[in-house]
Amino acid sequence: MALLVVENVTKDFGGLRANDHISFQVKEGELVGLIGPNGAGKTTLFHCITGHHRVTSGRVIFNGREITNLDPHQIARKGLARTFQVYAATGDLNVLEYVMVGTFMRTKSPLKAKQKALRVLEDMGLRDWSQRMVSEIPVPAQKLVTMAVAVATEPKLLLLDEVAAGLNPTEVEEVKETISRLNREMGITIILIEHVMALVMGLSQRVIVLDAGRKIAEGLPHEVVQDPVVIKAYLGEKRGEM
Amino acid sequence: MEALRSAFTFQKTDLWIGGVLASCLILFPLLGPSSFAMATMIQFLMFSIYGMGWNAIGGYGGQVDLGKAQYVGIGAYTTTVMLLRWDVPFWISMPIGMAIAVGWSFVIGYPLFKLKGHYFAIATIATSLVLKDLFEVWDFVGAAKGLHISPVKYPPPDFKRLIFREDIYYYYLLLAFFFIAILVINWFRHSRIGYQLRAIRDNEDLAKSLGINVHWSKIKTYALATAFVSAIGSFHAVYIKNIEPEDTMSLDISVLIALMAMLGGAGSLWGPIIGASILIPLKSYLKTWLGAKAGLVGIDLVIYAVIIMVVSAVEPRGIWGMLQRFKRKRN
Repeated sequence: MALLVVENVTKDFGGLRANDHISFQVKEGELVGLIGPNGAGKTTLFHCITGHHRVTSGRVIFNGREITNLDPHQIARKGLARTFQVYAATGDLNVLEYVMVGTFMRTKSPLKAKQKALRVLEDMGLRDWSQRMVSEIPVPAQKLVTMAVAVATEPKLLLLDEVAAGLNPTEVEEVKETISRLNREMGITIILIEHVMALVMGLSQRVIVLDAGRKIAEGLPHEVVQDPVVIKAYLGEKRGEM
Repeated sequence: MEALRSAFTFQKTDLWIGGVLASCLILFPLLGPSSFAMATMIQFLMFSIYGMGWNAIGGYGGQVDLGKAQYVGIGAYTTTVMLLRWDVPFWISMPIGMAIAVGWSFVIGYPLFKLKGHYFAIATIATSLVLKDLFEVWDFVGAAKGLHISPVKYPPPDFKRLIFREDIYYYYLLLAFFFIAILVINWFRHSRIGYQLRAIRDNEDLAKSLGINVHWSKIKTYALATAFVSAIGSFHAVYIKNIEPEDTMSLDISVLIALMAMLGGAGSLWGPIIGASILIPLKSYLKTWLGAKAGLVGIDLVIYAVIIMVVSAVEPRGIWGMLQRFKRKRN
């Protein structure tokens, strides 16, 4: 059975159609890449799924229940977590406390929340940073913290929005490793928006391609990159390498 | 049980500060202070507690609330009206006042927290002013001329109604409230809702994606802040014995409460206390020294304005934030 069903989701901002009748399904345990040129509507689609945007038309079904246009916190509590592309932690919460806010979704007791948060930090290799402010730690660790906070809510499905942006190849490898572990060892289904092709192509079992708000292709990674429609979307009319 | 334990769990620095502060405050009356100094200290304690309440929603939650005076009024009027009309003792009317204030905070909190930023701040001012205007024409509560608690009718010392001649009784009672307030805030900042609120201040979209009902969390915290303010409003009534809408519910009071917490350090345990320890003596002395001279009335407001500009320009986290930054640099 499909864990997530997106059915004809359309999102208009005034006269601009950011998502145009997008449909796809994600099965439990899958790791799916969502790619497309800038402005294709990838992040908008995430917002529509998690309730941060209200969809103009269409339906989102998660775990057999319709979640279209529920409040974001209600959707989160059903087991759908996400990260954000722009993430500025300016407050006075340190890394451990941030992750605790995640664990507080399923735990009332501060003591248990702390223990669970420490376990998550340990799993993600962030234990050493636990007492530091998010803004003080290196960028790759910050990216892992944004993932750790989401993981701390114990999600069934995790939407990752460009977690590898701005990292060097070694750091990308580390993030890749972590994502793969979340998927295989912890059994979290993942949808991944990414521009770093090494990451998407290496990880994804299936890739969905958006362009100008529409789904233009879907399939295995190596098939999709050879699809003329996809090549055209990325590079224009001329042929070339992606 | 866990809540109680977390209320008493302090970091080492906080324990030191708390210990020194507690000893100074407990010993202060033994120094034989003048009645002016005593009155100033009582004001300091009262405004510290108002500030701690404000700090829950304004500091930890980042929601700049400029309407706290309405809850001072609700507390003060509940206690006074119940005393004068039905001879209800303070210890019963204070919790009733808190309940009414919390009820009112839910009623106005629901629409208020649909607003953000400046709009929220302005709306809180409006609700407070509307309530003040209503009280000014409402005969049941004495309208504009207010209510008076006569010490002749209730001969002091009266522990049930809290009517005393000497300030020292009020001082120590207030000190007890002050310590309770610190414990409650200490519990709050390490509680689930406390952490969630700090996450909300940081990034509401992220907070929502972590399953936090942002609107409801703000309303609940606002209610907690309200309970603090109303309790001390009740105390204010029996201490001053003369209340009018103008001096319990005016905008000045709301602004002063918020300003103190911001000056001392919004979103920190000691911030409101530091702020009150600077602004309240300043206010008292300015009033007696300068306020009497013609042409200098309102100079305190000018000074507040300067303070708020300097704080927001130099260090938005106030004096406590400066101390923290200094400490971090040395490490």
